[in-house]
Amino acid sequence: MSINEKLLRKRERSAALMLWMAKRSSYNKSLLDKACRWAVNRATTLPPEEDFLRDPLIDSDEGFDADELDRYQRGEISKIL
Amino acid sequence: MPAAPPFDPQAISDAKFEERAVRPGVTTKRTICQTCDIACSVVAEVEKGRVVKIRSSDNPIFRDNICMKGIMAPKGLADPTRIMKPLKRVGKRGSGEWEEVSWDEAITDIGERLKTIIEKHGPEAWTVSTSQWNTATDHGLGRRIMNHVGSPNWISGVALCAGNTAAVNRFTYGWFPMGDYANTKCIVLMGHNPRRHSWTPMYNFIRQAQARGAKLIVTDPRRSSSAERADIWLPLKAGSDAAMMLGWLKVILDEELYDKKFVKNWTIGFDDLRKRVDEYPLERVAKLTGCDPEMIAKAARMYATDGPSIIPWTPITDMQRNSTSGIRLQSILRSVCGYIDVPGGERLEGFNPDIINESAIEMHHLLSDEQKAKQLGSDKHPAFTYRGQEVFREPTKRVYGQEYANLIMGCHMATPSATFRAMAGQGPYPVKAFFFLGNNPMMSYANMPLIIEAMMNQDLIVAHEHFMIPSAQLADYVLPGDSWLERPWLMDSFGWMSSVRPSEKAMEPPGECKSTFEFWKLIAGALDKPELVPWDTLEDFYDYRLEKTGMTFDQLVKKTDIYFAPPKFRQYEQKGFATPSGKVELKSSILEELGFDPLPYFREDPPVDPKYPLKLFTGVREDGFFQTGHRHIPEMRKRHPAPLVFVSPGTAEQFQVEEDEWVEVENELGKISIKVAIKDAMPDGLIRIPHGWWKPEMKQGTGHLSGALKYADAQLCRDDEDYLDREQGIPHLKGVPCRINRVKQSEQSDAPASEMEPAE
Repeated sequence: MSINEKLLRKRERSAALMLWMAKRSSYNKSLLDKACRWAVNRATTLPPEEDFLRDPLIDSDEGFDADELDRYQRGEISKIL
Repeated sequence: MPAAPPFDPQAISDAKFEERAVRPGVTTKRTICQTCDIACSVVAEVEKGRVVKIRSSDNPIFRDNICMKGIMAPKGLADPTRIMKPLKRVGKRGSGEWEEVSWDEAITDIGERLKTIIEKHGPEAWTVSTSQWNTATDHGLGRRIMNHVGSPNWISGVALCAGNTAAVNRFTYGWFPMGDYANTKCIVLMGHNPRRHSWTPMYNFIRQAQARGAKLIVTDPRRSSSAERADIWLPLKAGSDAAMMLGWLKVILDEELYDKKFVKNWTIGFDDLRKRVDEYPLERVAKLTGCDPEMIAKAARMYATDGPSIIPWTPITDMQRNSTSGIRLQSILRSVCGYIDVPGGERLEGFNPDIINESAIEMHHLLSDEQKAKQLGSDKHPAFTYRGQEVFREPTKRVYGQEYANLIMGCHMATPSATFRAMAGQGPYPVKAFFFLGNNPMMSYANMPLIIEAMMNQDLIVAHEHFMIPSAQLADYVLPGDSWLERPWLMDSFGWMSSVRPSEKAMEPPGECKSTFEFWKLIAGALDKPELVPWDTLEDFYDYRLEKTGMTFDQLVKKTDIYFAPPKFRQYEQKGFATPSGKVELKSSILEELGFDPLPYFREDPPVDPKYPLKLFTGVREDGFFQTGHRHIPEMRKRHPAPLVFVSPGTAEQFQVEEDEWVEVENELGKISIKVAIKDAMPDGLIRIPHGWWKPEMKQGTGHLSGALKYADAQLCRDDEDYLDREQGIPHLKGVPCRINRVKQSEQSDAPASEMEPAE
């Protein structure tokens, strides 16, 4: 087996491990699942100043009021703040 | 020295990754957003039986995958104009006169009329347009019923967006691959520009990869935000993707940067490919693309040597007159560089063996050869029709275990333009019944004037929709559809990837809104074939599909956000590729058999008519909208009050137009009104218009269609042979000749262009 093939197999094992951890992370039930979620969380979290997904529109969203949505749907109010 | 990571089992066990705190009285449901076609895993917060907030998933693998469209969904779907009861046309077609009827009354009449049409004209007289991305719970049931009835004429927007890419990828290696963003070292974006609020997960993947050190190459006429972040930006002429890739191959082959072992063992047609590529020296490619030859060579070297690299799917190459060659060249680049089915490259995942997939539900084997041969468009442009894809039955069975793989719904479609011609009475036989679901066909395909003519020539039109969209205004029946908040969903990536994700129902559908599953169940009953949809509920249907997993749908929801089998790489070493030769076909035996050039090529533009000196680039989305949707949401319209044509300062000066001025954009097919926005990022001679504009508040019905006749880009999208891809028959939307006309200023918008959302 050439060095390239060894590297390829190493990369395959590493990629398979990442997906296995993602799978366990999604289960999130057992201690092992939670350890995987912890590790995935840590690996994917960026410092706030580098976090390209921070967005005021999303981060400050508080959702809607259920009663207001009802009235809006019935046409009783034209705006929801 | 960084601190050692804490690894306290108790702390991990107690960690609050499960759910964020919610207000008292609020419950949560794990759902999948279907506001656009990307399907982000999100959480719906429910209060008093209503979804009041959409936020991102608690699962870190779906971190922050949410955008402005998603968070506005609770309001957008509570809009007072949403259709809540079945509507039946009572005046002339397009008169806007409707009466409310019951579902029973509507379905009984639809069934009788459809049976009469089939009896008179044959089953091929019934056509359906949908995408399944939008309807979600179709799951192939529409095709299943059509296949039993005998109609091959199913069309979809995926004919020019992803579905066609999947079908054409099969010509080279038998499947449609997915890029491994997590491990790749180089990403090539061919005109695609994922952003924070558009294709958010892809934006996330790309930025994460770049943060890890991966290279980014962008080919785009515009200086997009992705181009600004790229290691190499090639500002190519619109529509010249195939020429660019021929140039890359020239460099890669000449400098022997390809994977020789893979090419020798697993490809056929390399020598023929080499001869074809030799016809494209860099000087010629530079002329065709308008790019510096040194930069073209540099990008090619980066792709081939800094890998494993990926070329993610792009809607840009999908929509060109050289689309088949462009898509084939992407496949060939992946193959000769050895990036197929390896980590960091592009995986051929195959079906998930534990799930009954949609291709199997569709039952294509039941449609007779005689009816398949009638599929509209398959005579001239067969690539994604039955005629072009039937040869995959044996190899697909050999490699993936079943004969039909309708990847991204794109592998057994009729050709849209040929279908609308037949509907308009210009085809080989009459088409007189037209159903469309979660789809605005009038504005979603090329040649809108033809589509309107086609719709006006129908005996029966049925729409399954949320709102009175322009297409629905010409229907006989408009039936109210449910939304993603109001139903469960089993998301199986339309057969392309092997992962499956469940989405919980978060609230009851309002009024009499029904799912697409329920729609098809009712139609099957009305056609006296109730056995075709035997499941009582959507959940029962999902339990059937999941049986091999040993879980019911409810159990799957409780267990995980995503279900997938362990990844396998280099699977071709066991079973070969799902092509007739079992190898990667650099020279396509199927295209050759169909009478086309088996090697990729570049067809240069027709001579320019001096009346139309500009090039038009359309099909682009604004962040607040998806396709033709969301124009009814005040917050989105505030961001994008009017359609904007992007022009360079040089082009603005040439045509003497100013920022905020209303102009006409015109070509040989039609013209639209649009407001000028001058952008430094645009090249001279190219203008960009957004896709899918109409205004729900404007007058409905024929002659108006809520502003669609004034603004919709589909009026400029030509589908004459010069501007169709030869093999697929899909339109060229990236570089159509046009001009700008100055007009008397008669329209005001709410805000100057400079204050509007900086859409790209």
